[in-house]
Amino acid sequence: MHLMLKKYTYFIGVLLLIFNVDGFAHGVDSNTAHFLSTQHEVALVPFLYIGAKHMVTGYDHLLFLLGVIFFLYRARDILIYVSLFTLGHSLTLLLGVFYKIQMDAYLIDAVIAFSIIYKGFDNLGGFKLLFGRQPNTKIAVLIFGLFHGFGLATKLQDFSLPEENLMSNMLAFNVGVEIGQGIALLFILTLLGFWRRHNSYFTFANASNTLLMSGGLVLLGFQLTGYFTAI
Amino acid sequence: MNTLPQPSIKTLVLSCLFSILLAFVILLIAVLPAEFNIDPTGLGKAMGLTVLAPSQDSTPQPAIITCPEVQAAPPITADKASDPAGQKAADHNPWQDAVFIKVPAHKGLEYKFHLIKGETLEFVWNTDGAALYFDFHGEPAGDKTGYFKSFKEATQNQSSGTLTVPFTGSHGWYWKNTSNKEVIINLQTRGNYRIIGFP
Repeated sequence: MHLMLKKYTYFIGVLLLIFNVDGFAHGVDSNTAHFLSTQHEVALVPFLYIGAKHMVTGYDHLLFLLGVIFFLYRARDILIYVSLFTLGHSLTLLLGVFYKIQMDAYLIDAVIAFSIIYKGFDNLGGFKLLFGRQPNTKIAVLIFGLFHGFGLATKLQDFSLPEENLMSNMLAFNVGVEIGQGIALLFILTLLGFWRRHNSYFTFANASNTLLMSGGLVLLGFQLTGYFTAI
Repeated sequence: MNTLPQPSIKTLVLSCLFSILLAFVILLIAVLPAEFNIDPTGLGKAMGLTVLAPSQDSTPQPAIITCPEVQAAPPITADKASDPAGQKAADHNPWQDAVFIKVPAHKGLEYKFHLIKGETLEFVWNTDGAALYFDFHGEPAGDKTGYFKSFKEATQNQSSGTLTVPFTGSHGWYWKNTSNKEVIINLQTRGNYRIIGFP
């Protein structure tokens, strides 16, 4: 138990470090916001970049992805699950912006935070242990992907994009999101690949998913507090 | 290859309890004090974290960025002093140019002036009622990268001041009308500039 605690403290340090670096205002930074709200022309590359940056620095999306691929070992499985996530978030990102579906940014981010908690709990074997069966993981990743997409759509719409060239700018943003996701995944998979060669991966599997849940809970608490204090 | 330890209800419950406790502690002593100025334990204040939180009376509205370039009074320039007649005329009729700009509902547009570095643009504008989001900015002449410098960004129904431009190029406003009806802006200006108008 003592050793276990030691391991946890190490992880807490890492977790705090990650969160402190970025702060919690995971939206679009003020420079980008400025660009977005004054942009009235086609600007494919800038939108591509903003999308990619949003994903690479989007720890909520990345924590969820980490949870999804944590126990996936085969490239084929990873591809299937990541594709389902991509399908889900692209669908709602495009439809959300196109039909101007605006959700409360705090609430949608709270659902995204919940997806991380859900996946962490799932990885801990929680559903199997408590209910005797695990909900279909592919359907879950698709559904949560839809919510992540609404989150992206809500962020993009915060900046009242001009009507002209909305489609092309929006598509560029979406493609950027996928590029950013690909880059982030490359890093995550490389690190996981190294780690999986060591026994510590299995020793820490439980601890990692516990921390994943914790991360999700912190984000959930943050978003809900934001929601209730903003009114 | 190693295998995972057999999951048990006991480890699951412990894991969940631990993760909730950890999240609770992080929220209580770090996130809430730093982000929302909510500090029930007093630890956030003790660690100096609460300085990060926005002050309580501030609203989560778009930030108003004011720039030191926008000054209350124009600096007296040499050529103005050497031209007393011009100065006198300016005193009589304070504004050199006046224009009414119609911003249709749900549209945004720009109105620009060309100024040489160091020249000043004095301005006052007001709308016929509704507040408009605006971005008062300048773009260096000959720049193709889309770079611009923002001097002031806010949502207001009037604004005035003097801008001493930091570079040669086009300077002016982007206004966005998010309301359902047309808004008319009355813009009055004075300075050594060339009117570009709607680019």
